[in-house]
Amino acid sequence: MAIKTILIVEDDRFIGEMYVRSLKKANYDVDWMVDGNDGLIAARNKQYDLILLDVMLPERRGSDILEALRGGAEDLIPHSKVLILTNFEQDDESRMAMEKKADGYLIKAEITPSKLLSVIGQLDQPAL
Amino acid sequence: MAVTKPPKFAKDFWPYFYRVIATVIIASQLIVLVVIAAILYMFDFHETNLLAFGGILVAEAILGTVSSIAIYKLASQPIKDLLAAIVHVSGEPTTTTPPNPNDKRYEQSGFKDVLQTIYQLASKDTDPTTVLSSAPAAPATITDAATLVKPATTALEMALNETSCAFVVMNHERVITFANKAAPLSIDSNGVSSLSLLFNGQETLDAWLLECDKNAVHAERTWSRIPNKLPEEEGRRFFDVVASYDKGAESEVVLTLIDRTNLYEVGEQELDFIAFAAHELRGPITVIRGYLDVLEDELKDVLKDDQHELFHRLTVSANRLSGYINNILNTSRYDRRHLKMHLAETTIAEVYDTIRDDMDLRAQAQSRLLTVTIPADLPTIAGDPASLSEVFGNLIDNAIKYSNEGGSINVTASPKGDMVEVLVEDHGIGMPASVIGNLFQKFYRSHRSRETVAGTGIGLYISKAIVESHGGNISVRSEDGRGSTFSVLLPTFKSVADKLKAGDNSNEGLIEQGAGWIKNHSMYRG
Repeated sequence: MAIKTILIVEDDRFIGEMYVRSLKKANYDVDWMVDGNDGLIAARNKQYDLILLDVMLPERRGSDILEALRGGAEDLIPHSKVLILTNFEQDDESRMAMEKKADGYLIKAEITPSKLLSVIGQLDQPAL
Repeated sequence: MAVTKPPKFAKDFWPYFYRVIATVIIASQLIVLVVIAAILYMFDFHETNLLAFGGILVAEAILGTVSSIAIYKLASQPIKDLLAAIVHVSGEPTTTTPPNPNDKRYEQSGFKDVLQTIYQLASKDTDPTTVLSSAPAAPATITDAATLVKPATTALEMALNETSCAFVVMNHERVITFANKAAPLSIDSNGVSSLSLLFNGQETLDAWLLECDKNAVHAERTWSRIPNKLPEEEGRRFFDVVASYDKGAESEVVLTLIDRTNLYEVGEQELDFIAFAAHELRGPITVIRGYLDVLEDELKDVLKDDQHELFHRLTVSANRLSGYINNILNTSRYDRRHLKMHLAETTIAEVYDTIRDDMDLRAQAQSRLLTVTIPADLPTIAGDPASLSEVFGNLIDNAIKYSNEGGSINVTASPKGDMVEVLVEDHGIGMPASVIGNLFQKFYRSHRSRETVAGTGIGLYISKAIVESHGGNISVRSEDGRGSTFSVLLPTFKSVADKLKAGDNSNEGLIEQGAGWIKNHSMYRG
């Protein structure tokens, strides 16, 4: 399934706009939420192909959002992929916990918009 | 013994036993019926009263069977319970719950002691505290939890109050029957005391105890770094918690809490500081690198060549800054023994590819001739791609720093026994032998380089740490005024694969083979 719709949950305005700008230019359909609560609501209300999730967020942390979506018995977003994008240095345990539930864990400072596009391109190819 | 011969498990004895008993009951009833029928027949009872003859036989069949089953049930119940207890003690796979000695019917029949004996025999440790705590008659106090944490009376209790380790004992109802002074307890408005420990996620003591009640007879578990209060609260302490569970014992749950506040609190503060510092520093870097990327793409047809060059310098500087931040973070992790390598099968070429663009741009922007020759047929290595790319980045960055404009830098790789060697060679200022011995020390900067070249002095320190965490080796050959060659030796994947799988590798690396997981900067760092 080709990735078309993307939800970005990111509280930093500069970074959020940066992703939105380059992803829109690459013809993705992008929604951007600034706080954790809105992010969780958006993820539950609409089916996105991909969710870009920050960890340090106001109202609700990225780890809590992921837990709410994929921590229970039922995966609430079975059709979505999730990429964690964070600059926060998590301890190993919490990082592992998130890695297990996500499709990728990336340090924002290392991922420029063009690299993000290539990562999304990789996600699009079915892993065999 | 029937238990061991045909069946494989002790629990298989029961179905066998059951079948034998059923056969015996049916057979004996048939014999009794035949005998009665024969006696009646001899007295010609069937001729005088056929109906009564039939009735007697039917009544005997029913009554005999029912009473046999009833006796069988009564007599075999203890065997069944014994077997269940043994099955659980032996650790055989089973879906049944082990019999609980505190069950009412066991207490009435006195079977409780039998079960307790089995459970005690199964526990290897004859724990003196269990014996002691069960010695004084305690049942009367179970009703009132508050009085249970009573002032020390015995020498042992007084001694326990002197230690900073906390001991907490609970009975089957999870009422605290003993707690020493150091125990982190909270008392609610009803005067009931409970443990205040903040476990991580779902791995709580309560969850574990529930699991034990269902499936275990004896169990032990350890948690580390468990605080008793939230981060901002007064008097926060950290414990390593050891819990032991002994089904049916008077002291069913014994907790030993080792106070590690001194050790963990410092780590906690540093961890917080580094985590937040990383977050703070990386934020602006993300924006700078990101917008440079966006702008360069959007302006590529508008910019003149020299303006492109200025853009490159910005990008190179931002990338270097990012690398230094990673060095600082890694150094901090390493010093706190938190630096972990996630080893996976990879190649030098794959690792280098992640930083190739960045290095090319860096060399070009600073007018160095960077030549990289990595043969395609090198053996695979066991490496953490992200960390190794940082090592190569550091070495090339140094080669650029300590060489002259227009100077050539060569990166080559070749197999060397069980290792793969990567050489980073420059023809720059080099260094005297007296400097080399200190080169890989933290914050070490040679007198000369301090005056002429900027740097933090941790690049080589952390590179050495990373390489050695791989089981490899880093070294340097240098000639003053002629340049330096750094050598990185990394074990081949083949030579460490068995060790990695056995899980006895010293750096706690994980083995990650195959695709599926996108690892940060392993593929996308260039």
